[in-house]
Amino acid sequence: MLITQLKSKEAIEALAKGKTVIINCHGCKEVYFPEHEAEKLQKELSADGGVARIITTDYICNPDNLKLQLKKHMDAVEGADAVLVFSCGVGVQTVAGMFESKRVYSCCDTYPLPGFQGVTPLTVNCAQCGECYLNYTGGICPITACSKSLVNGQCGGSKNGMCEVDKNMECGWERIYRKLEKLNRLDVLNCAPKLRKYGNPDAE
Amino acid sequence: MADYTKFKLKKREELASALAEKDDLFVVACNKCFKELEGFDEPECGMFEEIAKEQGKRIVGCAKVDFLCNEPLTAKRLTGSLPEEAKNVFVISCGLGIQTVAKLAEMPVYAASDTKTADGHHGMALTDTLCEACGQCYLNLTGGICPIVDCSKSLLNGQCGGAKNGKCEVNKEMDCGWQLIYDRLKKQGRLEEMLSQPAQTRDYSKVNYKFISEYVNAAREKRYEGYYGGIHPSERKEMSEHLALKRFPEPLNVVIHMSQHAGAPAQPIVEVGQYVKVGQKIGEAQGAVSSPIHSSVSGTVLAVEPRLHPVQGTELTAVVIQSDGKNALHESVQPAGELDSLTPEEIVAIVREKGIVGMGGAGFPTAVKLKPSKPIEMVLLNGCECEPILTADHHVLLEYADDVIYGLKAIMKAAGAPKGVIAVEDNKPDAVELLRSKTAGMQDIEVVAVKTKYPQGAEKMLIKRVMGREVPPGGLPMDAGAIVSNVSTAKAIADAIRKGMPLIERVVCVSGERIARPGNFIIKNGTSVREIIEYCGGIKGEDATVKLGGPMMGFKVENLNVPVLKSTNGIIAVETISKEAAECIKCGRCMDVCPMELRPLYFTKYALQENWEGMKAQNVMNCIECGCCEYICSSKIPIVERIKLGKTAIRKGK
Repeated sequence: MLITQLKSKEAIEALAKGKTVIINCHGCKEVYFPEHEAEKLQKELSADGGVARIITTDYICNPDNLKLQLKKHMDAVEGADAVLVFSCGVGVQTVAGMFESKRVYSCCDTYPLPGFQGVTPLTVNCAQCGECYLNYTGGICPITACSKSLVNGQCGGSKNGMCEVDKNMECGWERIYRKLEKLNRLDVLNCAPKLRKYGNPDAE
Repeated sequence: MADYTKFKLKKREELASALAEKDDLFVVACNKCFKELEGFDEPECGMFEEIAKEQGKRIVGCAKVDFLCNEPLTAKRLTGSLPEEAKNVFVISCGLGIQTVAKLAEMPVYAASDTKTADGHHGMALTDTLCEACGQCYLNLTGGICPIVDCSKSLLNGQCGGAKNGKCEVNKEMDCGWQLIYDRLKKQGRLEEMLSQPAQTRDYSKVNYKFISEYVNAAREKRYEGYYGGIHPSERKEMSEHLALKRFPEPLNVVIHMSQHAGAPAQPIVEVGQYVKVGQKIGEAQGAVSSPIHSSVSGTVLAVEPRLHPVQGTELTAVVIQSDGKNALHESVQPAGELDSLTPEEIVAIVREKGIVGMGGAGFPTAVKLKPSKPIEMVLLNGCECEPILTADHHVLLEYADDVIYGLKAIMKAAGAPKGVIAVEDNKPDAVELLRSKTAGMQDIEVVAVKTKYPQGAEKMLIKRVMGREVPPGGLPMDAGAIVSNVSTAKAIADAIRKGMPLIERVVCVSGERIARPGNFIIKNGTSVREIIEYCGGIKGEDATVKLGGPMMGFKVENLNVPVLKSTNGIIAVETISKEAAECIKCGRCMDVCPMELRPLYFTKYALQENWEGMKAQNVMNCIECGCCEYICSSKIPIVERIKLGKTAIRKGK
């Protein structure tokens, strides 16, 4: 579950040298894939006749599936000088691993996406820190809700409830305070200071 | 399958202190994602209960939920299920699930587990961690081996020098990533390219909260538009959307099936050798839910015999007529008079007598719909055409807008509905504009442009999207005060009233990347699919699948010697998709896209076990067979096929 963004047109044009085969992966399209931008760009690339084939399939991160989907396109891929993959980094590496002696190029940059369930990204985030703080914070994560990931209360820099780092973001600790107040559990704030163990082996 | 559990129960001591001074616990546990789909029980839940009991705590209830982080479904599942005596909620799940519950519950929510980073959650294949999602892909410089992941130091500009015999100095079990990169590039003859590359720097600020949250919000908005779930398959309508509607050449023979609608097949009333005219009734309706059949040509009846049915797949009674090409009209084809002068009963009678059935695919006799037992507030004309590729309804709207509006008024009058809405997806702006200008002065008719999302055209989704109401499980649109009808059906009703013409022809879209010359045609009922495809230049390529209808819900036809029916909105030839079903990995995507808010993953499992009770318990009968789950399935499981198995078994009372 990743966000894929197209690389610049110049960068992609520079990669499409010689006979080119393009592979699009639509497996995570419901999450995010720049389908129309990619289509437009591929049309432009095809204009000078260098593109031998455009293959659109899904879940190329699964090597077995990739193999099956490429079966009828093997001649085109084998004969290509460059294979341009429009997918997340996992897909590009799966193709590159299948054709070790081919120039397999990535046409997208991949960004992480919070939430790993289904295809719907989540607004809440979990940093997978391995030492859940939610019990002290009324169920609001201080690692992700506070831009400084403070675990022992606010930094003091917020103004009118907004974060000093990002003025469009609410102060996470103010949200936590209000939630605890609502739950009548402000006493939780009296607990001992906490340290975040960055080396927590469980988090790896 | 490897263990991808992203959470583990907190340690006994920590739980003991978290439990201190708290009692009357309600436990919520997530059934986990990315695992082999075995059953509901997870050991952690029992372990927590044991620890809580050791502390002398009372557990007032517990809920095990699939994909706890799926907010809309979890909200529905948990609302009202928390017992009143519950004072504290403990959640066993990853941080996403805990925060989802914390947001929903009115009482304190506590985490009973810590969240771990699970390898391989990027991408679906759950093998190794391959991608760190750095937002600045280096794979083009490194022969497709990621230096961030495969080098333990994530070096971008070559090896550190510490590797021994190709093994990393940090982790002796691991190959040196830069050695792998060097070997691969050498194989590809690209060493020079690598060495002359300028030095790379990694921009750590590229991946930031703001950038990602903007994407997340946009993606979320798109997903929940109008109704839960749904998908956005590539539309591929450009192949035929701008091609003008043409009349298909007169067929030599037509094969007119007696079963072209839901309910009892019609009874043939013509004999071999008899001369029939256009619009003449050749099959009589049998019973209340049935529909008469009319001849689409003038000519001689050649045979009344079983012929292959395109949808049923078996041989069923059909009337074969040889056309004389004269198109002589039958005397029964007479205008019925002005709409204003017709009573609702008269309109229903015309609709029944002229053989009008739902033309969106299901073929339900329209006359039955027009006599609902409940008051109707709104008639919804369905012009969504949410199936990819198809452009038949689009052309009906463009070419016959007046007829469609007339048909809508007729349905509204027949059903006594005060309001009419024509819903069109926003990928057809020309149709929306035209209909808006045509209905400008009409107070009781509105044109609604809905955001494109499949399966918008399913009546339950459309009612939810336009009226904000839910059709109860097992219910009909009238239970929500609505009648939903296809735009082509409305056009057919207009023809029946204005010209007296029964439903003998329709607009069919012939398209798909394997059709040589796509087009939109007015085609007579009973015309051979083979003739139509040949007229359109035949099929290109070896690997083509022909379907009647759209790519999502259309019926696959192996034998092209079948005729067009009243409900055939498209004939498409598309590239055959090769699939090999793998085990379900519980990725949760099917549940995420199911517009009926079901859990298709359980159907895949129960169908194989022939556990029909389980399927019933998972509400399989509510499934509308839209195919979203199968489309998104990362394991390529033929889910709809398995659902149909279950439905058939349950209908047979197993």
